[in-house]
Amino acid sequence: MIEFAREIPVLSLVVFTPVIGVAALLLVPGDRHRAIRWIALLASLASLAFSLLLIGYEPGGAEFQYREDLQWIPAFGMGYRLGVDGLSVVLVILTTVLSVVSILYSWDKIKTRVKEYYATMLLLMVGMLGVFVSLDLFLFYVFWELSLIPMYLLIGIWGGPRRIYATVKFVIYTLVGSLLMLVAILAVAIAHGSGGNEFTFAYEQLRGYPFTDGLQALAFVAFFLAFAIKVPMWPLHTWLPDAHVEAPTAGSIILAGVLLKLGGYGFLRFSLPLLPDAAVEFAPIVITLAVIAVLYGALVSMVQPDLKKLIAYSSVSHMGFVMLGAFVFNVQGLQGAVFQMISHGITTGALFLLVGVIYERTHDRLIAHMGGLNARLPRYAAMFGLFTFASIGLPGLSGFVGEFLVVLGAFQYNGWVAAATMLVVIFSAVYMLWMFQRVFFTVPSGWMRRWWPSLSDMSRTEWLSLAPLIVLVVLLGVLPGPVLNLTEAPVDRILELIAPSTGLTSLSLPW
Amino acid sequence: MNDPLNDLFTLLPELLLVSTALIVIVTDLFIPRSAKWVLTPITILGLLLTGIGCVQVWAVDDHVFGGFYVVDPLSTFFKGATLVIGLLTALFAPSYLVSRRLPLGEFNAILLFSLTGMFVLASSSDLITLFLGLELMVMPAYLLTGFHKTDRYSNEGGLKYFLLGSFASAILLFGISWTYGLTGTTRIAEIGPALGELGTAGPAVLVAIGMLTVGATFKAAAVPFHYWTPDAYQGAPTPITGFLSVGPKLGAFALLVRLFAEGLGPQRGDWLIVMAMLAVLTMTVGNLVALTQSNVKRMLAYSSIAHTGYILAGLAAFAAATTPAIQQEAIEAVLFYVLGYGVMNIAAFAVVGMLQRDPQRYGGLASFAGLASRAPALAAAMAVLMLSLTGIPPTVGFFAKLYVLLASVDAGLGWLAVLVALNAALAAFYYLRVIVYMYMRDGEEDPAPVDRHPFGTAALALSVAGVMLLGIFPEPILTLLRDSAAALF
Repeated sequence: MIEFAREIPVLSLVVFTPVIGVAALLLVPGDRHRAIRWIALLASLASLAFSLLLIGYEPGGAEFQYREDLQWIPAFGMGYRLGVDGLSVVLVILTTVLSVVSILYSWDKIKTRVKEYYATMLLLMVGMLGVFVSLDLFLFYVFWELSLIPMYLLIGIWGGPRRIYATVKFVIYTLVGSLLMLVAILAVAIAHGSGGNEFTFAYEQLRGYPFTDGLQALAFVAFFLAFAIKVPMWPLHTWLPDAHVEAPTAGSIILAGVLLKLGGYGFLRFSLPLLPDAAVEFAPIVITLAVIAVLYGALVSMVQPDLKKLIAYSSVSHMGFVMLGAFVFNVQGLQGAVFQMISHGITTGALFLLVGVIYERTHDRLIAHMGGLNARLPRYAAMFGLFTFASIGLPGLSGFVGEFLVVLGAFQYNGWVAAATMLVVIFSAVYMLWMFQRVFFTVPSGWMRRWWPSLSDMSRTEWLSLAPLIVLVVLLGVLPGPVLNLTEAPVDRILELIAPSTGLTSLSLPW
Repeated sequence: MNDPLNDLFTLLPELLLVSTALIVIVTDLFIPRSAKWVLTPITILGLLLTGIGCVQVWAVDDHVFGGFYVVDPLSTFFKGATLVIGLLTALFAPSYLVSRRLPLGEFNAILLFSLTGMFVLASSSDLITLFLGLELMVMPAYLLTGFHKTDRYSNEGGLKYFLLGSFASAILLFGISWTYGLTGTTRIAEIGPALGELGTAGPAVLVAIGMLTVGATFKAAAVPFHYWTPDAYQGAPTPITGFLSVGPKLGAFALLVRLFAEGLGPQRGDWLIVMAMLAVLTMTVGNLVALTQSNVKRMLAYSSIAHTGYILAGLAAFAAATTPAIQQEAIEAVLFYVLGYGVMNIAAFAVVGMLQRDPQRYGGLASFAGLASRAPALAAAMAVLMLSLTGIPPTVGFFAKLYVLLASVDAGLGWLAVLVALNAALAAFYYLRVIVYMYMRDGEEDPAPVDRHPFGTAALALSVAGVMLLGIFPEPILTLLRDSAAALF
């Protein structure tokens, strides 16, 4: 049924359908809010529909499928090269789903500069999706930067009181990393080109080329900065809490759900396969930083008075798992890292959405100002509970699978590392449950009582936007197989490329 | 080669340009005040005809007038870029000048003469011609800076520019005479080999190279020879500032390419480090000072210093390159940057000028506050220009930086590339501040009125379209560049 997807440029359609939406938006007068919302929703739904065609990806077939290969700037070996493997497929679908969720959630929430808002959201989609499907380092970089500006505007225009500080910090952090990465990309391409090869930015041609140790180390550091800032890894994470607190809800959903994954994806797609020797060399440092991030994020989360900040810091901890899994270099760790990315995107996206729901009603996010909400908003409490448990990693929900696999992988690397991260599973239960208890079970605070009569449970658009995430969090928890099947081949491929550097072969490890 | 008629044909662009200037002066005398606007279309027409002239001589690669003058694709490329800059300036200036009762005819004529100077500079194959072209370029520029006769700042800027500029010309001239004394020739192409015979790094050679470097980088506004820039730029009428920040700079880089890449190419080991250091110093100081400015005009003035630094990095890459292919790539990077930067910077200054319709407005950041809701199209245009100046894809500014980075890394100057990248991130801070004001702050009580003159609007639309298109599809320009830079090798 979805075979016809191989006949059409489906990846271009996924990436550029939102651009058609933007063009349509430009033709609509700014005060026609209804029309604007529908155009944005339809454009994102169309992109989602195209992305679902990618489920037809055949894990047993070629590594990259649905390829598109066009000349762009041949003078510099830059091409419009697109293609996806299983890793890209799951992240592309995560992106389109979360974009639809954010657009739906914003439906009746955004009342100022509506047209610009939805245009920005759609442009953000283009940048993010482009990153996941590029098979050309230059094209990848262009999309990477393209995803930056819309988020900058999203936080800066529709954000909270300290939005300008937060958004400038976000941009400057990201730009420093990405500009250094650009130099590294050029250095890698030039080194490959001067080795008697064609000068090109094509990913597959650069991958596997034996770059010298010195170049690998320098390039790895540059890539690391770009990706680690995005992930974000301790100690480069300080932009994240500010950005999250000031971002509008939909911005937070995308930021936590997808933008952080750009960093994780960068490590898996570029750092490890392109620079395997340096990756192995630096692995102990990265793992140390990852463990610190895991612990630090969890500990700091415990003392956060603000709901959004708490979830932001928990992201630092969860993304630390991703980094840990990526750098222990075994199947379980890598599979866990990928799964954790997907799961974190869903649960944290949903948690930010739910925080947005209460913020809409009370204009406050301080935990101390909440309390007793279970009595007044039972359905809302149930949903919040579901995602709280998913975030803690309760078996049966998606959060469990990723963390479990990562810890399993970490055990093969080093027992102490695994033990330290296991500790965090307890910490996360502490901060999440304690937060849940203070928000939903205790006696309502004086502040909350003022809003009490006007509090209403979740609205229809809120349910609609949350629904896909509810389905996914349960489905992936019970049936992680399909995702793991898709990501198995890419993970094996990474291990294969890195095997000569580690001296291990991926298949010899016990399961 | 020595057929005088053929020599004249190769001068077709210059002849057209000078004729236009003369026609403008004469027409200005005979038309009433109410019809002065027609001088702009005349200027535009003349520039377009000159452009056609450039196309006619594109294939020419010849030394004419006994070797004093060279017409090759490199010079023709510089001329083309000059015309783009001249065209935009001529379109942006009228409404600003007319609203301040400044004479349009004189402005156009002076502008055209300055452009002629840039033409001569780009085509000089002899130190004498080079100096002649340089002076023909900067003399009108001094006049333009002080063009607002009744404005103190304009006077001050003009005088400063004139005094320091003459000083720098004197140093350059001194360097030229020193070079002549050492080599016995003023032919640019013969200097390098002649100096080579003297043996490198003798103190006399270094003095000559040093003098030439100081004189040339002064014109390009490189740190530490940049002190005239902010005052001259701030004082000049805004659209003219746009021209000053790119026109004489383009000329200065034409001079640098001719003198250093062509003339002193064999000595590049001697000037590599100086050029690289100047690049680093220029971009860093330019950016750091730009960071602290609250006046957009002054901020853009300092940022134009930073851009000089990036272009110098391209020149340093030329000096460090080990193979002709990489040398050529570095020259291409310089050319591309000069052109791309020219378009985006001139347009950015023009936007500042459009917000100064009320002559009391001085171009502070506050006049940009809330612009996105008052004038969405203008704000969007300015946002694109700011992103391009920062170097965010898909704009021409990004591609220009990429080119410089590519050349630097290719030439083995990885550290310089890293510094360029870090500087670009630093620059993002103040460029994005303009976007913050336009999009994220509420407007003032009494917002600056927006100038919507049709010429200016058309030119702005044209430049923004160019900035985007060249950023996404640079291929056509790259082909031209390749031919131009190849003329040197």
